[in-house]
Amino acid sequence: MKKSLLLARSNLRKTKGQATAIAVLILLAAVMLNLWLMLSLDYKQNFDRCHSRLNAEHVTLAVDENNSDMRDFLTHTLNGDTRAADFCFTPALHMVGSFDFNNGEINSELIFLEKQAALSRSIGKVEILEESGAKSGVYMPILYKSDRIAVGKTVDISIGSNKMSYTVCGFFNSVMAGSHNCSMCALILTEDKYEELKKSGYAPNATLCSVRLNNKADSETCETWLKNTVAARYPTAHTVSNSYALVSQSRYISQMICASILNAMAFLILLIALVVMSSNIMNYIQEHMKNLGVLKAVGYTSRQLTGALILQFSGVSLLFSAAGVGLSYCLFPQLNKMMISQTGIPYQVRFLPLPCGITLLLLEIAVIFTVWLSSRRIKKVEPIVALRQGMQTHTFRRSRVPLEKTNMPFILALAVKTTLSDAKRNITICITMFIVSLIMVFSGLMIENVIADMTPFLDLIVGETADSCINVEKNIEKNFLREMQTDPRVEKLYLYSSVSLRHVDGLELTAVVCDDFSKVNNPGVVFEGRFPRYDNEMALAAKYAGEQKLKIGDEITVTANGRKSAYIISGLTQITNNLGKDCLITRAGYERLGKLPNTSYYLNLTEETDIDNFHTEVKKRFGNDINAAINVEATINGASAVYISLMMILVIAILLLSIVVITFVLFLLIRTMLNHQKQDYGIQKALGFTTGQLILQTALSFMPTVILSTLTGMAVCSLIINPLTAFFLRSIGIVKCTFTVPLGLNILGGTGLILFTFAIACLLSLKIKKIAPKELLTGE
Amino acid sequence: MKKTLIKTKHLSKSFSTGGDLQHVLKNIDLELYQGDFTVIMGASGAGKSTLLYALSGMDTPSLGTITFGEKVISDMNQDELSVFRRSHCGFVFQQIYLIEGMSLIENVLAAGLLTGRDKMSLLAKARELFSRVDISEETQKKFPAQISGGEAQRAGIVRALINSPEILFADEPTGALNSKTGLDVLNTLTDFNEQGQSIIMVTHDMRSARRGNRILYLKDGTILGECRLGRWVHGDRERHEKLSSFLSEMGW
Repeated sequence: MKKSLLLARSNLRKTKGQATAIAVLILLAAVMLNLWLMLSLDYKQNFDRCHSRLNAEHVTLAVDENNSDMRDFLTHTLNGDTRAADFCFTPALHMVGSFDFNNGEINSELIFLEKQAALSRSIGKVEILEESGAKSGVYMPILYKSDRIAVGKTVDISIGSNKMSYTVCGFFNSVMAGSHNCSMCALILTEDKYEELKKSGYAPNATLCSVRLNNKADSETCETWLKNTVAARYPTAHTVSNSYALVSQSRYISQMICASILNAMAFLILLIALVVMSSNIMNYIQEHMKNLGVLKAVGYTSRQLTGALILQFSGVSLLFSAAGVGLSYCLFPQLNKMMISQTGIPYQVRFLPLPCGITLLLLEIAVIFTVWLSSRRIKKVEPIVALRQGMQTHTFRRSRVPLEKTNMPFILALAVKTTLSDAKRNITICITMFIVSLIMVFSGLMIENVIADMTPFLDLIVGETADSCINVEKNIEKNFLREMQTDPRVEKLYLYSSVSLRHVDGLELTAVVCDDFSKVNNPGVVFEGRFPRYDNEMALAAKYAGEQKLKIGDEITVTANGRKSAYIISGLTQITNNLGKDCLITRAGYERLGKLPNTSYYLNLTEETDIDNFHTEVKKRFGNDINAAINVEATINGASAVYISLMMILVIAILLLSIVVITFVLFLLIRTMLNHQKQDYGIQKALGFTTGQLILQTALSFMPTVILSTLTGMAVCSLIINPLTAFFLRSIGIVKCTFTVPLGLNILGGTGLILFTFAIACLLSLKIKKIAPKELLTGE
Repeated sequence: MKKTLIKTKHLSKSFSTGGDLQHVLKNIDLELYQGDFTVIMGASGAGKSTLLYALSGMDTPSLGTITFGEKVISDMNQDELSVFRRSHCGFVFQQIYLIEGMSLIENVLAAGLLTGRDKMSLLAKARELFSRVDISEETQKKFPAQISGGEAQRAGIVRALINSPEILFADEPTGALNSKTGLDVLNTLTDFNEQGQSIIMVTHDMRSARRGNRILYLKDGTILGECRLGRWVHGDRERHEKLSSFLSEMGW
């Protein structure tokens, strides 16, 4: 051990540059790995911790009734169900509403609670996180804290067709208060404002029923059951509900996306580090064959020599993995800040021993295994052979690109000869450039489909979009349709209403009812099969279909309004709004189960129409029979801003990381090459090669492999990027991605990558300047 | 009157070793002439190779000037020196220093193509030079590791001569060879010199030194003495005795 330690120290002293480059790669891998593990193993668990701390509910149901009969019914129902452990009721006001957020708006089912009532809830406690001391106004969920929604500022809230202005008194945290992807949002009003709203009649009285379950896994089934039970008893009462499963998943979509990217990056960088390390060790053995032979001759065993290498690399790895873990804690608060804007659950960054332990252990094991695997050749080194032959760096069967025959320019020919002489170096470059190409293609995909124009992203995540969505009461539907169809500002109008159904053998599904699916703006929602055409057809979410083992052509039976009906699955959809628990059905199809209580219409308006003015006018014309008029674009902007900023930061981060990785890999390869071929460079300088020629020759020698692997990488990655992205997004219901692969951007990126690599190779080869021909001087 | 090829004035070279300044060459004034086979001799550490590399532009002097024809090479930067070397100088090293990854013909062409000359004429010249040093076409395609030391050094000479240099610098060219192959190399150098090739050779081997027509003896960084010999004739005892007597006078 002591001997191996001495050898390891001596090796490290001799190869400081290479060791530093490997250390940086290990450090980056450790940063990514630890961040990923912290996000995966603890970040989402923070939701559960917060859920327990606030004794939060697993099922939330808001019913537009607030009387003792309703409460008695709910008490009786829940007492009779073994899944419910505890429950409580809180009086509330409930109405669809909206407010401005992030240059867009939030449209949601707003649940208004009175401050004292909210704070005294035994289940689903609310904690005030920030308070101004203002006595009258609104407390907003911490999720919506932003420049425009800040303590002391005024927030305008549209409640149904009316608008109310409130001073923001503070922010609160409530686990089930909703998120960007859930339709329910709780707001707390001070007593005076609550009474004022109640008196105004803008929002009907409601009961907020919060249920804690014995087993949180029952949250979805219990939610469905409770909602249906209430609907059966009070068919006219409007209800809105949330389950633990839905809220916990939807709050953490950005965490999931971020964790997936970090996970991929961590393993890709680790792979590069290991490949580089392996290549480095093989070169070391080749270069130090004589020394190894001498050491064996004086009595060192292969195990001691291999042990020295393992000690050397594992020591560096341990040190820099620990530094990487430390660095990840410096970066985590920033990441946390980004995440909180979507999760809305405050997270306290603290030391996590498990991710730290796994990171260190995983990296150590990977490094030790790689070193052991790459240094097995030491066993075959026989002292006498090693001493006699030294290194054999070339196969002498034939000259590749013979100078006497080739028509290539001289320097290029020399560069190509160098390229063809080192397979290990080429493999390292190939793997690195392939991985960086994948990162480039992914970045291009995100720039094109999320950052520059997010329509493809919205088509995938949101499903159907239009300019406006207007929900009207049944009694004015015909009149509304007649007027809209003759309004020159309306380009397209179609029914697109959401209702709830329950799959008899499964969960509650959100069904989108449309009168004519050929009118929809996003036909890509159905990615396999087709939209339903007849009243006995349904297109089902692919994720749910997969879970239930249902396929196109199978029959699915659903219930609603106390009726049951079977449908044939005509196609598979992917919409993430309800995390893959949706279906599409025709109006005639839904009417087999009952009439729509009210109807939502999607409208495409002419370019020059101001959507908000249009809504004001429509509301004025139809009065309270317009339940809601939603500016869809503004709503999407509000909710998606967080994804755009997150994606932009991630793209910048991974591109910077790629630059660092390429630089260090090239640094290592060039440093190894210069050490290995120092004599050849000296000879060439003595013969009259200028430093510039040698730098060019060295940089060019990387280019055939770089160009080939980048082009192949970009082409292959362009083909696989959509399935790969779908794989990472599978947990939110995405099965098939149809993002536009930006050919121009990819070509630009690939060219940039090649030019950057060339420039970096030239820069790193500047060390050639220091190689002097006089070093060939012998004798004195 | 012979034409002066290289002229040095106050040529000095110092190295810093562990904080101490070591003066390897001290104030050397020297003229080297076209067509000469100049041999630099001296004990180990006398500064022979340092002088050779300074004269060839491989190293720069600490003080003084070196003029090659009309060019002051001591004022040139590294890249100018590279261009100067490829156009005017040829080198033969003790350790031969052929590029391992290239065949012999490629080693020669690598030096030749640098000057931008036509490849076909270069190939013809290389073949001719190879044939003069008795290296077959088959051997020309071999790599340095596949041939003997003598063959490698003769290939090194071909490489040094491919650009028809005005002067050939040879640093202990037989130092790494056995007696027989060393003799072959010396014969080759002598042949080329007889055909007008100027040569400067560093050696501490008496047998090699005998091939020169001008012997410079270096001691402690200064030229202690000079001996002029006639043309090399095999078995010329008088020449041998003159050299022996000069060297013993120098304290050899």
